[in-house]
Amino acid sequence: MKTRAITLTINGEEYNITVPAHHTLLQVIRDQLNLTDVKYGCGRGECGACTVLLDEGTKKGKRKAILACMVLAATMDGKSITTAAGLEKDGKLHPVQEAMGEVSAIQCGYCSPGVALKGVSILEKNPKATEQEIRRELEGNICRCTGYVKIVEAMELARDRMAAAGKSK
Amino acid sequence: MSSSRIMPEFELLLPQSVSEAVKLLAKYKNKVSVMSGGTDVIVSMTKGIVTPYVMSLAEIPKLDYVTYNAKTGLRIGAMATLQQVADTPEVRKNYPALWKSASINGTPQTRNMGTVVGNILRASPSGDCCCALLATGGSVVLQGPNGKREVSIDKFFVSYRVTARKSVELAIEVKLPPLPKGTCNAFARMTRTTLDLCKINAAVRLDMAGKTCKEARLAIGAVAPVTLRLSKSEALLRGSAITDDLLQKVAATVPTEIKPIDDVRSTAEYRRAVSGVLVRRVIEEACQAR
Repeated sequence: MKTRAITLTINGEEYNITVPAHHTLLQVIRDQLNLTDVKYGCGRGECGACTVLLDEGTKKGKRKAILACMVLAATMDGKSITTAAGLEKDGKLHPVQEAMGEVSAIQCGYCSPGVALKGVSILEKNPKATEQEIRRELEGNICRCTGYVKIVEAMELARDRMAAAGKSK
Repeated sequence: MSSSRIMPEFELLLPQSVSEAVKLLAKYKNKVSVMSGGTDVIVSMTKGIVTPYVMSLAEIPKLDYVTYNAKTGLRIGAMATLQQVADTPEVRKNYPALWKSASINGTPQTRNMGTVVGNILRASPSGDCCCALLATGGSVVLQGPNGKREVSIDKFFVSYRVTARKSVELAIEVKLPPLPKGTCNAFARMTRTTLDLCKINAAVRLDMAGKTCKEARLAIGAVAPVTLRLSKSEALLRGSAITDDLLQKVAATVPTEIKPIDDVRSTAEYRRAVSGVLVRRVIEEACQAR
């Protein structure tokens, strides 16, 4: 096939689209659907700017971070993904997003959507992730501004707040 | 072309079963690139290296298994990701070399996509899983038009990025034997940053009887067109007690068995200088972990 009709769910919204076989998920999200919160960094799997979360095929509540530049959109039929714009709930930012803003883990902002999504996947997989574990899991997200210190700080703040919120429930 | 990051057009094949995939391979042969996780094939295609057909295994069910049995060993399906293998406790416990090669491969995101079988099929001289598997021993299961065959990993890497797989065959599984009690097994590599391909990597399997090494398998990567076994160094270890003196001899022998080149990641001189040290350290690590 040179093109394929697929159904792709992004942030809960279903898109029925026809995609060229040689287009990546990133090209389709940005250029065909104009959802530009997913960033184009290196286009070859090195920088993490185009990170999205794959909602299914993973254990419930443990979404998997993948790279939109490294997957053919045509192979995403029936899949559901979350981008940074889909992290908020009822008008409220995700604790990871909130913490990133608060501690200034964002400077130019280009890596931030990918970093936020990767941070969410870290804390969903391991709500007690240590600083070392957070640093290791962020190895695939390149940030040329912050020096990573504030990013790690934000993830730890979000981790502690999420744990406290879980206890008070 | 090389910096455009835009893939040229191709025809996408999406088989729904292994038998359909094998039929497609029989029809299109070497005009097809087989894609599992995509992390290698897509990078090649963005550089303009593209075949007329690309066959994705994404929609073939039940290929993403990692199963361990103490009697028969480990089986890794073609679609099992590096992360899946890294997250399997039996792999961590019983196959520390393969476990490490999977858990340090690329970045967390590419580990969620790339597969162990894909890493081996790529047959890059710097492939981390290639090195770990070559030291540990095992085989690749290939399915062709006339059924399945199993190729020992010792005969699988033919030349630079060329394997024993024929163009009509699909690699469906990698198998590792159960390791006897007393086996030491470890993997190590050197890179500039964590997501780089390695400058050099090495792995070891020593089957020990008390303090004596009964059988030795040493593998080293990124120092020749294919990942190598170090037969002279292995012969020094076989039948001997592992002492500091012996390890010094092994470390001095390793550089005589390799043919490194200068490239973007390192120089031949440096690789030769560190090769013996890396092998000695990986043997020490394996023995300590025992």
